[in-house]
Amino acid sequence: MPSRNSFSSLVALLLVLLVAGCAPLRRAAWTGDEAGNAEGGVAILPLQNLSGGTAPVTELRQELARRLALRGMKILPEAQLEQFMARHRLRYVGGIDAATAQALRRETGARGVLITEVELYRTPFPPRVALTSRLVTTEETPRIVHMESVALSGNDAPGLLGVGLVRRPQEVTDRAIQLLAEALTGEKPQPIPRVSLGSDSVYLARPLEPGRSYRVAVLPFFDKGNHGYAGEILALHFIGELVRQGRFQVIEPGTVREDLLRYRIIMEDGVSLADAELLFGMLSTDLILTGEVNDFEDLQGAQAAPKVDFSALLLERSSRRAVWSMGDHRTGMDRVRFFDIGRIVTASALAAGMVHQAVEESLGR
Amino acid sequence: MPKRWIPPIITLVLLALAGCAGPAEVYRDANMDFGALHTVAIMPLANLTRETSAAERVRDVFTTKLLATGALYVIPPGEVARGISRVGISNPVAPSTEELTKVAGVIKADAVITGTVKEYGEVRSGSSAANSISLSFQLLETQTGKVVWSASTTMGGIGITDRLFGGGGEPMNDITERAVNDAIKKLFQ
Repeated sequence: MPSRNSFSSLVALLLVLLVAGCAPLRRAAWTGDEAGNAEGGVAILPLQNLSGGTAPVTELRQELARRLALRGMKILPEAQLEQFMARHRLRYVGGIDAATAQALRRETGARGVLITEVELYRTPFPPRVALTSRLVTTEETPRIVHMESVALSGNDAPGLLGVGLVRRPQEVTDRAIQLLAEALTGEKPQPIPRVSLGSDSVYLARPLEPGRSYRVAVLPFFDKGNHGYAGEILALHFIGELVRQGRFQVIEPGTVREDLLRYRIIMEDGVSLADAELLFGMLSTDLILTGEVNDFEDLQGAQAAPKVDFSALLLERSSRRAVWSMGDHRTGMDRVRFFDIGRIVTASALAAGMVHQAVEESLGR
Repeated sequence: MPKRWIPPIITLVLLALAGCAGPAEVYRDANMDFGALHTVAIMPLANLTRETSAAERVRDVFTTKLLATGALYVIPPGEVARGISRVGISNPVAPSTEELTKVAGVIKADAVITGTVKEYGEVRSGSSAANSISLSFQLLETQTGKVVWSASTTMGGIGITDRLFGGGGEPMNDITERAVNDAIKKLFQ
């Protein structure tokens, strides 16, 4: 027969467990307007659509904000951000320049900005979604502190007799946003697909100095295919990979864009050394990365394989020469030998794998 | 068979075999010191195909592959474009000797490579189809404007397996890479 004390302890424990069990329910009902005091929080900019088609960017943004808030990220209320954007006539949401970042911090108290791009959004079977997010500080010089990409397709894991196929676009979208939120909050970083590159497709003049940190500006790649936004997407994948390497301080693309516009630098057929000289000085960088995209295709259909073909060039400030260059083309079926094992279903995932392999092999050492 | 017939028969066979040999695909200036070349510029290539982006694609692959050999430094395409624009070359795919000398001075190139994409894409024969590419390149020494190396290469096309089993041949990118590698091999041989 339990004593009176142990009985009351048991009741207290049950009560605590019950309250703890209610917590997720309460948090699940979060809405953007209830974020309350967002001092020191993160402003989630409206999503930039680089998919080349239509995408429900408002809904995607709201869902991403909700998922991030559920994981404890303090979010700047949407209304407050909208007022700020209207006040500063902020229309470009693919990046943030230093002046806007400082104004955002001063006026709203936001300590960071989450910039998200929709790389792919397709609803016909198999539904496909690819998103890239980066967290940028609102310091005097905006700094990219975290960047993650996620690319999912309804036929990622078809399984036996197609039991693993996902036909509803909403399911794929929800899963993608959940994975992105988990990766951004450091819970579960997104794995990068394995891609093998040709050994004769990479040039490295000399290895970068070990232990040294390099400042890098990544310029949008020239899109010579028919995607329209492939240049921006490839640049984002390079930014993400360089940030992940840890030895590169990558300049926020919004700052680079602002300087290119301010000094009216137009690059018709790649970066000339005169342009590079100007950019090295303006952005105080050690390296400039640029390149061109020949193919970036996500073909529709369950059996269609994506195709990516690009080249990249890294210019060094001290020598005024290209110190690294790579170029390759791959399809999502290149590693498949047996029953679609190793198949990559989206061009975004394929590009991420190619970029990772190229950077890791020669610049990451 | 009488023994005296043997020498004329052998001669005839040798002559017949010599007739089967293909035309020489490489020209190299015997007096040129290729080791003295360190920096080259690849000019925009002439495009004789219906594929509008063929020349740019081949140039991109050629630039990367040549740079990746580590034997020559290839001037970035953006810098070449600046040189062309500064010198005012009206037809950069076929520059004159004067233009060549001027542009090489601006971009500091030891030699300039020009080229032509003669065939790029699908070729058909009856019910068979396959991808094919045909390229030619010239290396011009910048002080005199003289062609010191010239080579052509053709890859892909309809093979016996394509005729028998179909299949469409290799992907265009693979063929382009093979053709460019072949041209580079001919440059360094």
